[in-house]
Amino acid sequence: MYKHTGSRGSGAPGWVLQRITGLLLVIVVIGHYFVMHADPASGHTYAAVLERMHHPLWKMFDLTFITVGLWHGLNGTWGIFRDYKMKPAVSLTIYGVIILSGIAFWVLGVNTILSF
Amino acid sequence: MKVTLRIQRYNPERDSEPYYQEFIVEAGDEKERILDLLHQVKWKFDGTLTFRRSCAHGVCGSDGIRINGRNRLACSTLLRDVNYRKPIVIEPLPSIPIIKDLIVDMSDFYRKYEAVKPYMVNNSPPPEHERYQSNDDAEKLFESAKCILCACCTTSCPSSWSDDNYIGPAALLKAYRFVFDTRDEAADERLDAVDTPDGIWRCHTIFNCVEACPKEINLTWHISQLKKRLTEREM
Ligand code: HEM
Ligand code: SF4
Ligand code: SF4
Ligand code: FES
Repeated sequence: MYKHTGSRGSGAPGWVLQRITGLLLVIVVIGHYFVMHADPASGHTYAAVLERMHHPLWKMFDLTFITVGLWHGLNGTWGIFRDYKMKPAVSLTIYGVIILSGIAFWVLGVNTILSF
Repeated sequence: MKVTLRIQRYNPERDSEPYYQEFIVEAGDEKERILDLLHQVKWKFDGTLTFRRSCAHGVCGSDGIRINGRNRLACSTLLRDVNYRKPIVIEPLPSIPIIKDLIVDMSDFYRKYEAVKPYMVNNSPPPEHERYQSNDDAEKLFESAKCILCACCTTSCPSSWSDDNYIGPAALLKAYRFVFDTRDEAADERLDAVDTPDGIWRCHTIFNCVEACPKEINLTWHISQLKKRLTEREM
């Protein structure tokens, strides 16, 4: 039976941000590929990472990557769950796990990047 | 030539679940319509076969059914549109309650439709003649106004399958029809009605609705215009 469920705000910002972060990911993922994967021999040694991580631009790059990637991936995951009918308890639990893991991984990532 | 119809049957008073029954019918040529063959079954073989149809010419939208896995109108699908060398599988529209045989319960579909106020709202005093609209402005509505409410789109949408409370493409198309009408004054109410957790954001541009629509309406394009309009309004 169709029910008009009240919204806790518009879905528009999330929809737009999913697209904007997706576009940013195209750029960042290509950059990531060239740094880490294009040449399997380069970029992986501790010295190479240390040198890169001392550069503020690379720090910015990695901070952007972790923020945009986490938000995009977790918001997308929540979007997949949201496409199914869930009991409020299930929905709240999944949402909680997504938010908490997002915060935890973001703090961990930012902490790592800024410790160089 | 002989054609086999494999029809899904269900009588709620007798059957615990739907089952399939095959009928071999005689078709004149491949320009015969699926609807003609269903009539043949009903009139010659089994009068209890139950399906809706009214206009028989693609206008009323009452005979949306699933033919070989595709949502289509029985009256607008010719034999040559399907593979008739194998049994043609005829089923009711999916993901919507069955009342009997090919007849589905459209109440929910209409409730979703009502939610977007499918009528003109204009509370300003009427002008002396009609409310004018430019040709260009009218042009923007023609495609969306072609809808015959057959429900082929909404019941083909994966988002409807996973969440039967999803408002669905047909209602969204109707919202477009009035939101983009220069004579209408209730755009905000309609945008509120579609901007809910079970509303427009459950559409992931999968295009099943476009493939299903017998009136060849590009629903996804219209839904995207609404998403754009909502984004402009909210941000
Ligand atoms: C590389 C460029 C990328 C682009 C252009 C992009 C774009 C998009 C867009 C537009 C959506 C929304 C789909 C919809 O609402 O129907 C989406 C969803 C999603 N994205 Fe990305 N994305 C990219 C990379 C990634 C990455 C690296 C991840 C993993 C962290 C990811 C995970 C997801 C998930 C889980 C969804 C939800 C699935 C869905 O809605 O179908 N994406 N992406
Ligand atoms: S385009 Fe949107 S509404 Fe149409 S079938 Fe796909 S998800 Fe459903
Ligand atoms: S948009 Fe097309 S498929 Fe959907 S109800 Fe209208 S006519 Fe039928
Ligand atoms: S019977 Fe009217 S549309 Fe097919």
